[in-house]
Amino acid sequence: MTWAIEVNNLNVWYGDKHILKNISFKIPKNIIFAIMGPSGCGKSTLLRAMNRLLELNPHARVEGQVRIDGIDVYNDNVDITWVRRQFGMVFQIPNPFPHLSIYENVALGPKLNGLVKNKSQLDELVKQALEQAYLWDEVKNDLKKPASMLSGGQQQRLCIARALALKPKIVLMDEPTANLDPVASSKIEELMLELKENYTIIIVTHNPQQAARISDYVAFLYMGELIEIGETSMVFTRPRHELTEKYVVGRMG
Amino acid sequence: MRSEKIFQILLFFFIFTTLTIVVGIVVSLVTTSSPIFIKYGLDFVFSSVWNPVKESYGILPALLGTLITSTIAISIATPLAISLAVFSSEIIPQRFRSLMNSISDLMASLPSVIYGLWGLYVLAPILHNYLMLPLHNYLGFIPLFSTKPTPTNLFTAGVLLAIMIVPFASSIIREAYTAVPYNLKEAAYSIGMTKWETVRTMLGYIKSAIFAGLFLALGRAMGETMAVAMVVGNILNIPKSLFDMGYTISSLIANQFPNAEAYEYMVPALYGGATILFLIGLVINLVGLYFIKKVMIKG
Amino acid sequence: MNKRKLKEKIMLGTISLLATISAIPIFMIIINIYSEGLRYVSLSFLIDFPPPPIGGKAGGIGPALAGSLILMSLALMIGGCIGFFTGLYLSEFSHTKLAQYTQLFLQIMVEFPTIIIGLFAYSILVVPLKRFNAFAGAFALSVVIIPYIALNVREAYKSIPYSLKEAALSLGISHPKAYLRVLLSAARRGVLTALLIGMAKAAGETAPLLFTILGTSFSYFEGLDKPINAIPLLIYNFALSPYERWHQVAWGASAILLSIILAIFVISRIVVKEVKI
Repeated sequence: MTWAIEVNNLNVWYGDKHILKNISFKIPKNIIFAIMGPSGCGKSTLLRAMNRLLELNPHARVEGQVRIDGIDVYNDNVDITWVRRQFGMVFQIPNPFPHLSIYENVALGPKLNGLVKNKSQLDELVKQALEQAYLWDEVKNDLKKPASMLSGGQQQRLCIARALALKPKIVLMDEPTANLDPVASSKIEELMLELKENYTIIIVTHNPQQAARISDYVAFLYMGELIEIGETSMVFTRPRHELTEKYVVGRMG
Repeated sequence: MRSEKIFQILLFFFIFTTLTIVVGIVVSLVTTSSPIFIKYGLDFVFSSVWNPVKESYGILPALLGTLITSTIAISIATPLAISLAVFSSEIIPQRFRSLMNSISDLMASLPSVIYGLWGLYVLAPILHNYLMLPLHNYLGFIPLFSTKPTPTNLFTAGVLLAIMIVPFASSIIREAYTAVPYNLKEAAYSIGMTKWETVRTMLGYIKSAIFAGLFLALGRAMGETMAVAMVVGNILNIPKSLFDMGYTISSLIANQFPNAEAYEYMVPALYGGATILFLIGLVINLVGLYFIKKVMIKG
Repeated sequence: MNKRKLKEKIMLGTISLLATISAIPIFMIIINIYSEGLRYVSLSFLIDFPPPPIGGKAGGIGPALAGSLILMSLALMIGGCIGFFTGLYLSEFSHTKLAQYTQLFLQIMVEFPTIIIGLFAYSILVVPLKRFNAFAGAFALSVVIIPYIALNVREAYKSIPYSLKEAALSLGISHPKAYLRVLLSAARRGVLTALLIGMAKAAGETAPLLFTILGTSFSYFEGLDKPINAIPLLIYNFALSPYERWHQVAWGASAILLSIILAIFVISRIVVKEVKI
């Protein structure tokens, strides 16, 4: 069995603060993998260590391995832009480029990465990505309008389309519904279940109910340590660790 | 990966170019002016004789001129700049505010040669007829007004400088004033303060920004060249009153440099003047930046 | 209580009065410059050579206007380039010592008396070439505008939300592409304003040109290694001359220079006002 992603002995420091401690796990393809834990436990850092977005922070230092298809993304010979293209990323606050149109937001990645040969191919790709993100029907007549006119939930789905347009292997989602209303949130969750047919999805959430609802695998992160990982049904019904149990039954914020 | 490397090298190249220029300016000032300091030592600063024919150079009259004109300027500009800042952020109705700020910003961006031309042909005669002559006639016994004024003199230069630096100082104060947290203003009104009392409290709160604005404006007044050169009179004398014609260091350089190469030590002497101007300006601007930093930490 | 009310009235009245006084000069300047200057301005004024002090034709400011435009574009090209990339570095590598010191230097340099920059350009470009030349003037103007552009570009890039920077890089594009193709358009308003400020400075600065370009108006542009004239320098030289005729040309030239500055100013206001996102 080939794994979607393998993490081996991953350590992250900010300055001299040890943020992630010896994290190791592997997960299969075409599943939803949820990373849950209280805020400040290192979930978002773990996500950004995978696609090396952490390197935007000059104080961050990483040790260990993250392998996709057997290739370590931290290997010196690996191109960082290639790494980031293997992942599509969706952020906590919907962050479409507000000065660009809806079309341009989705088209930008493929265009700058040279993934398409001509305009009609690009049009097709944009349409496909927007359809996958359940957004096409709502915006097909407004493609030239600025992204900032969309509602919060629509903006987040636009960001998903932007990520999908790169044809990534893995989609990283950093608390994608934290800033959305319940209706918009459930739409995103529905969408995720659809997407796992074609992608592996890694979602960070501080909401154990959400993890229970949608994920196949789940990890519990606490103070930078991986406390428990396993199939969601197992972790939620028979947690092996006391901390996990406290967390999933809601006795720990 | 290659484009990343090239980009980094490009950025380094440009930042080093910038640094080289800054360092180059200082080095060229120091090296070109060193002969005058070696030959005359501190006499260069404290002598009032400027006689190129005899190769003797003293910068004192011009230094005094710089200090006098900028002192006049900052004394006039201080109340005006603070008032303008308060007026445009507190008193004037909301809908005129951006217009008022635009006018102030436009004033700050006019070229100094335009101020100079206007100062020479419009401001100087007005000041001469309606302010300086009456002051001299009635208050001439006060040493400050003892010289019979000509239209262009140190006082005219000081007033023109004040006009030029008010918008600059006021924009720094204004920015700090509008950045005062709203709840502070609410608190002031809630304990029954009048508008003026509130304004005074807020001004106390942004003291650092006021100092910053005034110091940076003072630095500008000292370095300003063209406008001053056009209205200061351009005569090298130890000034005895505000109405004496005079020189400032920068206007001395502007006027004398074109024929400096004819003399052995005049080029070093003028670079020496520039070095002194640079050092004074450096201190004043560092003080100004120190206050700005204080504002930013507080805000 | 009454005394308090009175004080309130007096103080607010004084502030309003002083504020009005400080705003009067700008109106006087604009009115004076245009009422004195515009009457000499015509199409031929923009093209012709300056008149002789006495007799001859009315003349104009052709060579100086052409010179100013050449110097402005050169300064904007050189200073704009250096300033832009320096500003980008200051913003994106703000944690490095190099960036912090450079920023401090630039903040001091903004307040440098520009005549010192004129002396610098004289030392390194006029003395070695043994001739006043247009390039020395363009270089001096570039040095004047570099800190303005760099500090404003830095502000522009700093103001981009962190989440947008993450979004850009998560698309799997290189840093140069992220900064120049994606984020530049997010920062375009600030960057454009920076360039416009630089342009206005380059148009109006006189002191850096005093010892670099000589300011002759006998011919149009002859080459970067030859002397050249510029409008502000012409205004200075003619205003201080003893000839009435040249004073008139100085007023006319001031009206042109003021119009250039006003135009840049209005454009920069429009750029800033452009629909907020």
